[in-house]
Amino acid sequence: MKFTKLLALFLTLYIGTANAILEVTVLKRIENAFPIVIAPFDVAGDVKKGKVIADIMRDNFNRSGEFSASSAENVINKVDFDHWQEKKAEAIVFGKIEKVSKKVFNVWIHLVDVYSKQELYAEKITVHDSGIRRIAHYLSDRIYFALLGEKGSFYTRLSYITVVNKDKGKREYRLEISHSDAQNPQTILTSGSPILSPSWSPDQEKIAYVSFENGRSEVFIRYPFVRRKTQKLPYFDGIASAPSWHPNGESLLLTLSKDGNKDIYSYHFKNDKLTRLTKDTAIDTEASYSPDGKRIVFTSNRSGQVQIYIKDLSSNKINRATFEGRYNAKAVFSPDGKTLAMVHRVDKDYRIALLDIKSRDLTIMTENQLDESPFFSPNGGMIIFATNRGDRGVLSVVSLLGRETFELASKEGEVREPNWSHYSR
Amino acid sequence: MIKTIFLITTVSLLSACSITKDSEPAVVEDRSSVTQESIITLDESSFESQSIVGASASLSSAERVAVTELKNTGTNFILYFSYDGFDIDESATAQIIKHANFMRDNSSVNLRLEGHADERGTREYNLALGENRALSVKEVLGLYDLSSRVEVISFGEEKPIAQSHDEAGWKKNRRVEFIYQ
Repeated sequence: MKFTKLLALFLTLYIGTANAILEVTVLKRIENAFPIVIAPFDVAGDVKKGKVIADIMRDNFNRSGEFSASSAENVINKVDFDHWQEKKAEAIVFGKIEKVSKKVFNVWIHLVDVYSKQELYAEKITVHDSGIRRIAHYLSDRIYFALLGEKGSFYTRLSYITVVNKDKGKREYRLEISHSDAQNPQTILTSGSPILSPSWSPDQEKIAYVSFENGRSEVFIRYPFVRRKTQKLPYFDGIASAPSWHPNGESLLLTLSKDGNKDIYSYHFKNDKLTRLTKDTAIDTEASYSPDGKRIVFTSNRSGQVQIYIKDLSSNKINRATFEGRYNAKAVFSPDGKTLAMVHRVDKDYRIALLDIKSRDLTIMTENQLDESPFFSPNGGMIIFATNRGDRGVLSVVSLLGRETFELASKEGEVREPNWSHYSR
Repeated sequence: MIKTIFLITTVSLLSACSITKDSEPAVVEDRSSVTQESIITLDESSFESQSIVGASASLSSAERVAVTELKNTGTNFILYFSYDGFDIDESATAQIIKHANFMRDNSSVNLRLEGHADERGTREYNLALGENRALSVKEVLGLYDLSSRVEVISFGEEKPIAQSHDEAGWKKNRRVEFIYQ
């Protein structure tokens, strides 16, 4: 099923750039997915607005890979349990929207269990016109939690790089952010030089990234919601790259090659202090913290092969984490800290794999040739990564249930280097 | 005469101590047919322009002529590397020595070495790998006390010469480019 969103783009208060929206393709549905009905909301006045909320929620649940969400023919005010039991729906979402003033709405939402006939969740929210999409994601997370007892990852943002070919062989690189469903894209930065490795700060106010705009790789911090605000880190000789935030947001892991030797450092914003975390003549790069900030995982070729290592920051011990395969790189911790997602070479192909850190069990999650840049959704239920479709770079999302569930592509060019934010403020 | 002997000694010394990994060593492509026209000025604004190998805009016209002559003598301005490799073999060393001699004869020019990688593997690792390739070349030039005139940068996999997603393309992209400035 392929659907392109034709919704009018909402221009933010901060950056009035019209953007190319990514095309969303749902790849597979899981057969025994949780059947849920999200009925059209009962809308007094502006019909379109109410339709959007239910549509966004349905798309969210279908993309999660865990639900099969369908609509109802009519709005629901009172649930006919016998009818929905017959239709084998297990939960019903319905609601209504009332206009308070020209741009302010009240939204009522209800979630009922078809078999126990219990109301699992109900809420009334007042929302401004410009926040309709965000509220739909927020409500999706609440319903996801009410049904599964786990957080959803809908009320979040993505960042990614798009690359568009221009005249005379020139390319334009854009750092973009969007909602978790790729809607509401905003271009944060446009450059004629490559942009790499965007990374959301834990508070979501900043994005660290690598740019070649001065002819070499350097790390910058951009404030996506503050127009034109950029912060550059101090000048380092050689490579400065692979930024990744400490969970407390106070420091950044970096790869620096200050003396030609690529090692991991942490850079503390408060006092401009650099702490060296690895010291090896091999390449050490692509470091990121465990969710509790007590360990870092990084890529190193110190064994002669490219493999993943974990450093315990209290004992300073470094242990190799990967033993299967000749190439494992760019690992990130899952939100519970127990699993790593990484790029794993299988014969000639580079695929996304999961490693259980304790048992060392490795599971290959994809079947592509050139997968890169895996990153967990904040609830750990999905992994977003970059891959190639034909000659074009796209983003793909795989559910931990082992299925690629949806894909994000740009009509204009390539999409790459995805990063998933924490929960929205 | 003394100079020649010194060069020969260095070559054998280097090849003797070069560490051979399981990967094949750097390959030098024969680009002796390269002519003057192929020396394209580096325009900083056009990041993606192809074949910027050779001379940057900052060179004087005399220096530019000298660089062109070096090219016309069959000196390679691009060295190629094996998959995940950054070793310099004997023939690559011979090419680097030609550049070392050129730099000694032309004391006003500086050299920028740009390291590159193919698209396979991760971008950040490839950025590091590209720097290692350029540093390998710089290390040889360092034997001639030229280090202070050599700048090393890496573009990782971000500036491919060949766009095809196969070995034919990849082997052209695993490279170090020599740019005089």
